[in-house]
Amino acid sequence: MSIEVEVNENDLAEMVEQVWESYLDPEGVSPLIPTYDENQPSEVHSSVSITGSWTGYIVYASSVQAARRAAGAFLAMEPDEVGDEDLSDVLGELANIVGGNVKAMLPPGALLSLPQVVLAPEATARFPGTERISGVYGMWEGEPVSISMWQSRGDNKEGAE
Amino acid sequence: MKILIADDSRVMRQIVVRTLRQAGFGDHDLVEAANGQEAFDMVNAESPDLVLSDWNMPEMTGIEVLRKLRAAGNDVKFGFVTSESTPEMKEQADSAGALFFIVKPFSAERFDEVFAPILG
Repeated sequence: MSIEVEVNENDLAEMVEQVWESYLDPEGVSPLIPTYDENQPSEVHSSVSITGSWTGYIVYASSVQAARRAAGAFLAMEPDEVGDEDLSDVLGELANIVGGNVKAMLPPGALLSLPQVVLAPEATARFPGTERISGVYGMWEGEPVSISMWQSRGDNKEGAE
Repeated sequence: MKILIADDSRVMRQIVVRTLRQAGFGDHDLVEAANGQEAFDMVNAESPDLVLSDWNMPEMTGIEVLRKLRAAGNDVKFGFVTSESTPEMKEQADSAGALFFIVKPFSAERFDEVFAPILG
């Protein structure tokens, strides 16, 4: 039996766009401009895991400057007033919002974890036994931001005979 | 009117408060709870007129809070503001007596649409 992933790149892009419209760019003046570069650098990242009807991770990664700007937008502060706790909380919330929206599109029986925030590049993270199946990569006011989906190979039996 | 905002995320409580203000409901008395147990206790202690609750919270989930309140005979106006939404969750919310189900990310317009009839 193979479980189809029901969330594709367009769905992910739409969720990300909603986050920008609602919180990060309500005026519609600084959208995330796609780079399609899945290897773009990051300095901080956050993730939530989903287990059950689909198993894997949703990862939000960006530069520190982009995270600071996101925290400023979320908390109505100037980016240079943002402290580490603000930065962590907002990064966690971003992974949580996208993860929650992804979960809503999956078959019933999926559990969302609390977010994990790491103030280090996404490249330092390891999600064993997973592969990246989809992602939105872009520049936000010149700073890298990416949102990607990592699917667990074993649990989803993708491509199994 | 007194509005209780229950969410374990400080950022999200802040955003809910800000969005309430943007939607023109900032004059109400806004109080906050950081988990389900605290939300349940505050409903009893503070008697809010409306509760905006996250779904997934430590101690007690939002739906557990609502069920426990109704089981205790408390019929405070109660609804969910959550990043998770599945048809099953909406059904559970409905049958437990929730008035609304707002999905994150949300806008001030969405708040206005939902809360104008409730808050006047």
